[in-house]
Parts: sequence; C-alpha cells; structure tokens
Amino acid sequence: MRTSELEELPISKIKAIYDYIPPRGIFKMHVKSLTGIETNGLYIDTFIAPDKLNAQNLRANIQKVKDAVKVVHHLNIKMAILGGFTSLLLEGNFNDFEDYDMVLTTGNSLTSAYVVKGLEKAAREHGISMSESNVLVIGATGDIGMACTNYLKGKVNRLLLCARNMNRLKTFGQRLLDEGHEVKYSSDLSELAPEADLIISVASSSEIAISSLKPKVIICDAGYPKNLEEKVEKVPGVFLFHGGMGQLKHGYSFNPDYTSQFYRYPAPHLGHGCIIEIILMAFEGIKENFSMGKGNITSEKIDLMYELSLKHGIELAPFYNSDGILEASKNNSTT
Amino acid sequence: METQEKEFKSIEVFNVTSDIYSQAITGELIGMSNFATLAETIDDPHEKMEAVEHADSERRHAEGFMAYAKKLGLNVNINLKGSYWNRIREQFLNYAAKKDFIACIIIQEVMLEAFAISMYTDAGNALGGASKKLFLSIAEEEKEHMDHSVELLQEELHKDPDTFIKKFEGIHFNCMTILSEFSARTDLKGHCGVCNGDCMKNALHHVNLNVDSLRGNALALYAKALDTIGIPGEKSIVWIAKLPA
Ligand SMILES: NC(=O)c1ccc[n+]([C@@H]2O[C@H](COP(=O)([O-])OP(=O)(O)OC[C@H]3O[C@@H](n4cnc5c(N)ncnc54)[C@H](OP(=O)(O)O)[C@@H]3O)[C@@H](O)[C@H]2O)c1
Ligand SMILES: [Fe+2]
Repeated sequence: MRTSELEELPISKIKAIYDYIPPRGIFKMHVKSLTGIETNGLYIDTFIAPDKLNAQNLRANIQKVKDAVKVVHHLNIKMAILGGFTSLLLEGNFNDFEDYDMVLTTGNSLTSAYVVKGLEKAAREHGISMSESNVLVIGATGDIGMACTNYLKGKVNRLLLCARNMNRLKTFGQRLLDEGHEVKYSSDLSELAPEADLIISVASSSEIAISSLKPKVIICDAGYPKNLEEKVEKVPGVFLFHGGMGQLKHGYSFNPDYTSQFYRYPAPHLGHGCIIEIILMAFEGIKENFSMGKGNITSEKIDLMYELSLKHGIELAPFYNSDGILEASKNNSTT
Repeated sequence: METQEKEFKSIEVFNVTSDIYSQAITGELIGMSNFATLAETIDDPHEKMEAVEHADSERRHAEGFMAYAKKLGLNVNINLKGSYWNRIREQFLNYAAKKDFIACIIIQEVMLEAFAISMYTDAGNALGGASKKLFLSIAEEEKEHMDHSVELLQEELHKDPDTFIKKFEGIHFNCMTILSEFSARTDLKGHCGVCNGDCMKNALHHVNLNVDSLRGNALALYAKALDTIGIPGEKSIVWIAKLPA
C-alpha cells in the first residue's frame, strides 16, 4: 500500500513542469480559536513559478489566479484569501468572481495591522518614542504601504515615503501634506533613509538596498522576496525583523503535514497576516468581502482585525529574521 | 522518397516529423488493440458494441495518420513491441484479464488520451499546414472520448470515493510511471523502439517543440482530468510529483 499522504511532496521533482500544473489544493489546515471555535481551510497553490512573475507572463498569471478561485468555487468553499502576489496580480479587484457566491479578501488589513503593531511594539521595547520618530515606508503607494501610512499619520513625527512611480507617490504624498501631516517623499531611497528612525518595507522588490542609516534603526520587513537583510548596510544596532506575521497560540495543523517544506519558521504556529485574516473571517462568520481594491484599508479596519486576532488567541509573532528569534523576543517565543 | 524529403526544410525536420507520425500511429494502434481487448472482456452487448466502435475509431485515426505520412513520404516505423508502448499494453492486458472495465477506461481514456490530446495539439500547432489540421481534428475526437469517460468515472467515484481513489492511485503508478519515463527529458528506460535512429526528443527543437512543454502540457491535461473526475488536487499533485522524471 502506498502511503503518499505521509510522505513529503517532492516539489523539486516537478521543477521542469511546475508552471504547467493547474492550480490545486495542496494541504488542508485545521485551526483552533481561544474561544473554542475550530475551522478548516485548504491551501491552494496557483503554480506560478517565481521566475515567471514578470510582465511577459502577466496574462497567463492572471488566468492562473482566476483558475485558482474557480477551484475554490468548484470545491464549494465559501471564502478565500488571495494571498501573496495573487491579489497583486488582480490589483485586489474581485469583480470577476461576483457570480461565485463567495467572500474574498486580500488579507491586507491584518497584514497591515501586524506590521504597524509590530513596529509599535519594537519601538516600545527599544525605548523609542513613536511620536518623535520619523517613519520611512518603502512601497508607500502599495495597498499595505498606504494602509500603514494612513494608520501612522498623526502618530509619528514625520512620514518618509518611497516608491518608484513618482506620479502616484506625489498624489499620495500631497494628499497627506494637505491633511497637515509632516511628509517627505522621494523615489530615491538614499534621500530618505538617513532621516529614518523606523522603517517599514512593503515593496515587492528584490532591488531595495538601504544605507546611510541612523545608529539605532528598527526595520520591519514585510515584503517579498525576503532578501532585505542582505541589502541593509551592516550597522550595529539595526533591529530588523520579518513583520506581518501572527502566532496562533492555539496552534494549527496541516494535512498532509508539509510544515517542514512550506512553512518553516523559527517559532511554532506562525502564520501570515493575510491567511490569518480569512481564519478570523471564518471564526466570526463575516459574510462580506473584507480587504479589497487598493488603498481602501482604513485604520478602523486595521484595529478591528487586530482586536479579532487577540480575541481568538492570535498574537503578534515574536520578532525574528533569517538568523532566528531576536533577543528582545526570546523569552516569549514559545507556546 | 528523395523528392518528398525536399519538401522539408532540412533532413532533421523530415526525421523528427517522421518520428512524430510513427509515435502517433503506434499509439493509435495500441488504443485500437486496447479497445478490441476491452470488447472481449465485456458481457453487456451494448457496451461490447461501443468498445468495438471505439476500436474502429482508433483504427481510423491510425489510418488517417498513415495515409498522410505516405503522402509526405515519411519514414514511418510502426512498432507495437517498442518498449514503452509494449509495457503500457501489458498493463492494460493485466487489468483486462481481471475484467476490470473501470481500470481499462482509466488507462485508455484518461491516461493515454490525455497524452494523445495534448501532444497532438502541440505537435499539430508546431508542424503547421495539413499536418496541423489532421492532428487537431484527431485531438478533437479523442477529447470527446475522454470527456465521455470522465463523466462515467465521476459516477464511479461518487459510489465509493475512498475505494475508487485508492484504485486510481494504483493504476496511476503502474501506468503513468511508464508514460512519465517515456516523456522524460531522456528516455529513462532506454530507446523507445519507434523513433528512427536517436530519440526524437533531441531533435524536437527543429520543429519548435521541446520535451518540457510537451510533457508539462500533457501532465497538466491529465491533472485537469483528475480534477474533473473529482480526485482531490492535493492527492493528484503528490501522485504526479512522484513520477520519475
Ligand atoms: N507578511 C505578510 O503577511 C504579507 C501579506 C501580504 C503581502 N505581503 C507582501 O507585502 C508587499 C506589499 O504588498 P502590497 O499588496 O501592498 O503590494 P503593492 O500594492 O503592489 O505595493 C507595492 C509597493 O512597492 C512599491 N515598490 C515596488 N518596487 C519598489 C522599489 N524597488 N523601490 C521602492 N518601492 C517599490 C510600489 O510602488 P512603485 O511600483 O511605484 O515602485 C508600491 O508602492 C508584497 O511584497 C507582498 O508580498 C506580505
Ligand atoms: Fe485515437
């Protein structure tokens, strides 16, 4: 008898044909809430290879995302989160799925919540005052970048905003200036980085390099690919953590259990904010799309999601980066 | 034949086109034989007649390819005893001997058809001209076979999902392993016995084809068929990932 269920999925063996594979479920998830509620989910992969995420393949990739949503529909699953680059490909636009009788979200409200709450916590632990800090947002015109910026405006000394497209950046920056906030924006990171006390990196880019930093800077890296650490000037005192993550105190399980392959983190039961958002929507029976489009995430949505997260026993992930758990978090990293 | 060869851009194109036709004809004859065997194993007269009709349709496909290959003066080599085709045929005969009608349908109508439909489509589009018309029209007919059987297998799965999926898994590893070795970048189990000279896989680029996309598209169509039948995607992906490559 074959026991394929218990064996590892040899993804490396299908490398050559990876992006031919139609979107499909890969493993089931089971999650528990602090309140005692339990729910099940299915992880569906679009099978878009990372090296195919380019303009040339845009149409094919969008089609794969749509096919993945169709899989959800065929399986009669009533809610889904379009995680990672899938919502980026659709720019958070769910119009094509209106006939599916399905609730959708990009998961970006809770991701943003974990980013800003994580930054606030790190600042607190390092004795840095938010209101006196200059906060740099790299990827400021993105959905998460705008949400974080809007959340932080009025709470910090100065906002430093960075993105490549100057038109979009200017529109957004000017709006904040008009609202009376201290804002500086530039598409040249080196003009902003030297002033920053706190940095949020939420750009989908592997090209970001940060240098000329102040001595004690806190960096929350929530973007993908995760290679910012290699590109940050090695200054002692820089505290860089991977943000946008929560920790499910009551655990989760995967079937088949691919945690050793897909979901390997230095602390138990970590999850992406976006995925946890749909879990909370399931726990709470939310029957409407939650995060969608671009630039629609309000501070109220962020706070609501964060409250729900705590209610169900899902907390901010301990601070970690690719070296493992960071000192400040060591005492509360285990469950 | 020399005069015909001149119609091709190069001797390489002539050779690879010959090999593509040889594989297609051999595959159709295997299909024809499989349905003929199936007809033997069936007691129900209507289903028996249907199997014979299917065998005849595969025969017509083979004839269609043969006639056109002759017209082009291709160097066709039909070999039902070629190692991969023969092993697939033996697998089929095994299940047929047990009168396992469902297993036979799975092998012929899902596994072999998925490869046939996908590869005929890719080959037709690459060869162009009258070959394209021929390959695509046969692919279309094979698709009807496949759709019809997928419906039947959906019902089978419905009756007892666990047993059906277990059974399918067994057949998958028995048969798809062979198709996978056959379609791997290099012939994993030696020469196929159908291609003239070297394996045509090394020459596919002469007609703008490549083995990864041929194999990828074929496995994708197979995966979609399994999805439509109702086999959970998280199972079929493991089955596919475990095939030799
Ligand atoms: N941790 C989590 O749970 C989680 C969850 C969801 C998403 N994410 C990640 O968060 C990131 C942002 O997501 P999103 O939905 O907000 O994406 P988005 O809407 O596409 O925003 C990306 C932003 O980055 C900017 N950008 C891109 N390349 C840049 C560069 N080289 N330098 C400066 N700015 C650059 C873009 O503006 P320009 O194009 O004008 O430069 C835009 O402002 C993504 O990497 C995503 O994978 C993390
Ligand atoms: Fe046929």
